Amino acid sequence: MILAKGKLYDNRHQEDILSHLEEEIAETRRTQSLSPETVIATADRLRQRALDGDFHALLAPFLQTGMGPLIQKVLTAMSQESLTYRMQVELGGCPPPIVHTAPPMGQQGVEIRPVPLGTLLHIAAGNADGLPAYAAAEGLLTGNVNLIKLPQADSGLSVRLLWELTAMEPALADFLYVFDTPSEDVTAMKKLASIADGISVWGSEEAIRAVRTLAPPGAKLMEWGHRLGFVYISGWENKEEEMKQLAEHILSTRQLLCSSCQTIFLDTEKEEALTGFCREFLPFLEQAAQKYPFSSMGEAAEVTLRRLDGELESILSGSPLPFFSPSGCCLTICQDEELELSPCLGAA
Amino acid sequence: MEYRRKLFSFPTPYDLDGSRALFLQAIEENVRFHYHSCPEYQKIAQAQGFSPRPLQNEEDLAQLPFLPTILFKRHDLRSMEGKKFLLTATSSGTGGRPSSIQFDMDGLFCGLRMVLRLGRYHHLFSPVPTNYIVMGYKPRRDNHAAAVKTAFGATLFAPAIRRRYALLYRDGKYVPDLDGVIQSIISYSRSSLPTRFMGFPSYTYFVLRRMEEQGITVKLKTGSKIMLGGGWKQFYTQQVDKKALYALAERVLGVPEQAFEEFFGAVEHPILYCSCPNHRFHVPVYSRVIIRDVHTLQPLPYGCPGLVNLITPMVNAAPLTSVMTDDLGVLHEPDSCGCGISSPWLELLGRVGLTGLKTCAAVAAELLSEVKL
Repeated sequence: MILAKGKLYDNRHQEDILSHLEEEIAETRRTQSLSPETVIATADRLRQRALDGDFHALLAPFLQTGMGPLIQKVLTAMSQESLTYRMQVELGGCPPPIVHTAPPMGQQGVEIRPVPLGTLLHIAAGNADGLPAYAAAEGLLTGNVNLIKLPQADSGLSVRLLWELTAMEPALADFLYVFDTPSEDVTAMKKLASIADGISVWGSEEAIRAVRTLAPPGAKLMEWGHRLGFVYISGWENKEEEMKQLAEHILSTRQLLCSSCQTIFLDTEKEEALTGFCREFLPFLEQAAQKYPFSSMGEAAEVTLRRLDGELESILSGSPLPFFSPSGCCLTICQDEELELSPCLGAA
Repeated sequence: MEYRRKLFSFPTPYDLDGSRALFLQAIEENVRFHYHSCPEYQKIAQAQGFSPRPLQNEEDLAQLPFLPTILFKRHDLRSMEGKKFLLTATSSGTGGRPSSIQFDMDGLFCGLRMVLRLGRYHHLFSPVPTNYIVMGYKPRRDNHAAAVKTAFGATLFAPAIRRRYALLYRDGKYVPDLDGVIQSIISYSRSSLPTRFMGFPSYTYFVLRRMEEQGITVKLKTGSKIMLGGGWKQFYTQQVDKKALYALAERVLGVPEQAFEEFFGAVEHPILYCSCPNHRFHVPVYSRVIIRDVHTLQPLPYGCPGLVNLITPMVNAAPLTSVMTDDLGVLHEPDSCGCGISSPWLELLGRVGLTGLKTCAAVAAELLSEVKL
């Protein structure tokens, strides 16, 4: 599905849309501008409609999979208050203030005002449904024309939400294009990149390197490299409380965020200290697991299967068995110092 | 492996009570064989404090070491030398890497006896020459997927005069040719002979839906059947109601609901589950199902949903005695179906899985695989 100038098209129209894209965008940038107030007001109306249940059919599948709290957070982030606050904090005001400089000794002053970069290509992240829509909203807030390349995993929510946005405020329509073309379609990707003044890309260093080869000279690359979160422990100030908070952080985020703790480094040379920590920390994980239970049987089953698989792998490889809590939380001792993704990710 | 042979020659395929002792003996024999022939199986069994011993009743089956199917994707678990294998089959690899499982010759003969027995029971065989529409892959020498082999095997139930495949191999990959299939259906409908469909439910559904959208309806000859097998997991995730599929087939092909035959099986549990007239999968004498609690893995009583653990003594080549699938299901009480088959029936509810949330890092990996420039 493609969204272009407020209309939805089947993917077979991609070539045709791409062939006129540069011309259309140039015309938009020549004749129109977008104020953050318009974007904020529209986003807030969209939020209000969502709260009123207007998009129930669209959101129901996500609510059923336990994503209600996440959707609530996204809706809160789209409120007028939140977006105005962000503009205030990040750009100094809404609209961003114009600064007149008054240099000393009679030098000529200048006027400094933030302006849109121009055309942004968002190679969007797909780690939560609807995130690409949020990326687009940020691009619109700053007055840019936005080309969104959806991740393959996108469920269709983003394009529907953005279409609703343009339907509610036609002034946004010319500033928003959404494509779900796969990245393997190099011709289309190159075409999109060639139009962009900035490419916002999300991924590992290799992915960013690959996108860099696409960027035309002068285009800015806005990198959102993935990060692995970790915790380093050299001692405790309030052991019980700190263990509790660490466990709750791990379970509440399910290790899914860049900032989620994947690995705990213990500053010790003693192996007994590692096993001791596991024994001590496991009950805290268990308590946190009770506090943040899985929302479906399928999730619990997946975790249980992973646990069984981990146990059998340990048996076959002869490595020590991981420490398991009754609800399936798992701690594995590694002797190396590698920062790696937790095998329990998504489950803890 | 005397008990296994006897079990697979048992005359009544759903008489679980009558075959119980034989089943338990065959399982014991099979477990003993794997324990002494497959070092990995023995290692796991020993670590779990299990050693082969006579099984007193069906409750004892829950004590057998059960191996998750994912283990077969990562390890080449074998209980026999390579040269004794007659056939290799791979799973579809729905969730990533496929399992590659070997089968021994005696095991395959057992499977053949099972298919003949169940085929007769469910009236799958016919001497009438038949047109086939295979809603799956056209076989190739290097494609070992079990779905390919079983779909082709099903075209032997009645003499095939021609076969049309929905997935054709072109330029190094399989591509769907649904419009070509529709043309063949139209052509077959003019034939004086019946037509049988075999293959993935989702493709069958898409083809029928496309026919309806294009306003194409035909009337297939009496004796035509729609046989569905493989890909149930994807079908469930598309949340297509089976009733909708039956109604669609009636409208588009003139084939009644009674002409549907559904199959369930897995490469790690190569037992043929055939649907009863109520479209339910009853447990045949060659197999047992234990539903396990999703938290504790303890066996659950009838009617409770959980993880599906499948048990059979059919295969010697690999330790498939008790495998833990990644399916969620419910086992319903014997005699609760009403179709006349007395054995319990298995209802599949879907697959295990976390919600749509993806990790930052996992998505990065996906993006990396996407961006091939």
